[in-house]
Amino acid sequence: MARGPAGKAVIGVDKLGTMWAVFQGLMIEALPFLVIGVVIASLARWLSPGGRWLQRLPAHPLLGPLTGAALGFALPACECGNVPVARRLLAGGAPLATALGFLFAAPVLNPIVLASTWAAFPDQPWLLAARPLGALAIALVLTLLLRLLPEQDLLTSELLAERRLNQPLAEVSLLQRGSGLLGQRLPGPGAGQRLPAVEALGHGVREFLNLAALLVLGCAIAAMVQTLLPRSWLLAVGDAPTLSILSLMLLAVVVSVCSSVDAFLALAFAAHVTPGALLAFLLLGPVIDLKSLSLFGLLLRPRALGLTVASTALVVLLIGQWINLWKL
Amino acid sequence: MAMGWRSLCLGLWGAMLLISFSTGRLNLLVRAPFHGAIVVTGVLLLGLAILDWRGRPSRTAPRRREAASWLLAALVAIAMVLIPPQPSFSDLAANRSGEPLAPEELSFVLPPAQRTLTDWVRLLVLEPDPRLYEGDPVRIQGFVLPMPDGPPQLARLLVRCCIADATPIALPVRWPQSSPPPQADQWLAIEGVMGVETRAGQVRSMVIPSRIVPIARPARPFEA
Repeated sequence: MARGPAGKAVIGVDKLGTMWAVFQGLMIEALPFLVIGVVIASLARWLSPGGRWLQRLPAHPLLGPLTGAALGFALPACECGNVPVARRLLAGGAPLATALGFLFAAPVLNPIVLASTWAAFPDQPWLLAARPLGALAIALVLTLLLRLLPEQDLLTSELLAERRLNQPLAEVSLLQRGSGLLGQRLPGPGAGQRLPAVEALGHGVREFLNLAALLVLGCAIAAMVQTLLPRSWLLAVGDAPTLSILSLMLLAVVVSVCSSVDAFLALAFAAHVTPGALLAFLLLGPVIDLKSLSLFGLLLRPRALGLTVASTALVVLLIGQWINLWKL
Repeated sequence: MAMGWRSLCLGLWGAMLLISFSTGRLNLLVRAPFHGAIVVTGVLLLGLAILDWRGRPSRTAPRRREAASWLLAALVAIAMVLIPPQPSFSDLAANRSGEPLAPEELSFVLPPAQRTLTDWVRLLVLEPDPRLYEGDPVRIQGFVLPMPDGPPQLARLLVRCCIADATPIALPVRWPQSSPPPQADQWLAIEGVMGVETRAGQVRSMVIPSRIVPIARPARPFEA
């Protein structure tokens, strides 16, 4: 903490300047990934307007998340980029199991993140196996839990309306769909009709701006917490098995760096925390951090978001404890 | 109208990224290997904004909440152009203390006078015996980092991706008694030799300067 001549903490221009720089750094670093995600989602929407192939993805509670996780290898994006892609999957009528599996597992189960984890920890092969396996376990648990909620309690109303329009009539009624013989047709693509390119572009632009505004909020909170909370507080309990896991989980939420580079950040303190805490940092950050939480607001209702946060934290804590029992 | 407003917002974000790059501000925020992706993103956003603006007017006007989001996005992009980042490096470092540098394999060891501050810290982590380096010439650059439990040290920030993951490394310096203590955040070039001091019962290396010159902050202040 910067200190004035009398030793008093200075929370003034210096700190504001630092906060503003951290905010800018987080935003600018996230934007390329966000654009990649929106471009992929927009192309998918344009090329396959009815999203029929999306509806043929598996809805099985186990096979669905595994398929979603496998999609991460085909669409490498970190947690900022995969939100628009997951939104497209959900809006296109993909089964919840696959879409949620993709949303939660893809930020880890993609070639870029696995390669960076290997590059950062070449001498710890257990970590290279435990990170994807842990991410898969989190995705499976979250998918199983969230599928218990009715879709209207799970997804935001705008997303749900778009999803209803693309779901087969066997799954949703005309009334739920808000189109056809009953109710007014919602704006959006009709099944099987390709939009003109300018309309598809317009949709992508709207989506990007909506996500960018949410990202602004997430990055602002992350920058504020990072600047005001000394990280040494979070790392002070490096040796205590449970406390070290909890503190590294909190650090992952606060730092909000992309999953493609978080392994390099973890390298800086890997030698000073328990192995369980290290894995917890690498597992929680890609699913829950201050930056991605704001983006999730475009997909999930607050209740579902709360359930996601609580269950992810619990699963990560359990995995971390188990690793500590094994490795310590 | 809504269409023009939407395209303008998008264009502002693209312009902001390109202005950050062309003014060199990006060096203060994100590491150089990522700059290419950011420039491509800026060009892409500007291009898409032009295409969007030249396209047909949208039939659906943004809802109030959406319009508010776009206004926020536009204002933030403008603010990022108008207010350049001015981080306090010592403030950043102080909030990230307590993370010693993880040792890295050094495939070769540079002659002492060519080692940067980061090279020195890596070497001291790998082989901490201070007597090995006593009398070695030192020529390093860094910023002044006030320490809570002793005199200020000369520091650098290591950044893997962006400023949010900055991690400080620092070397103790025996500051001359004759001159006032250095100001926090001041960038200095120090020439001298490596010495040894005993502090709290521990023997450690410290820089004994023969020449201290204030310098401007380097264009690329972060190291990897």
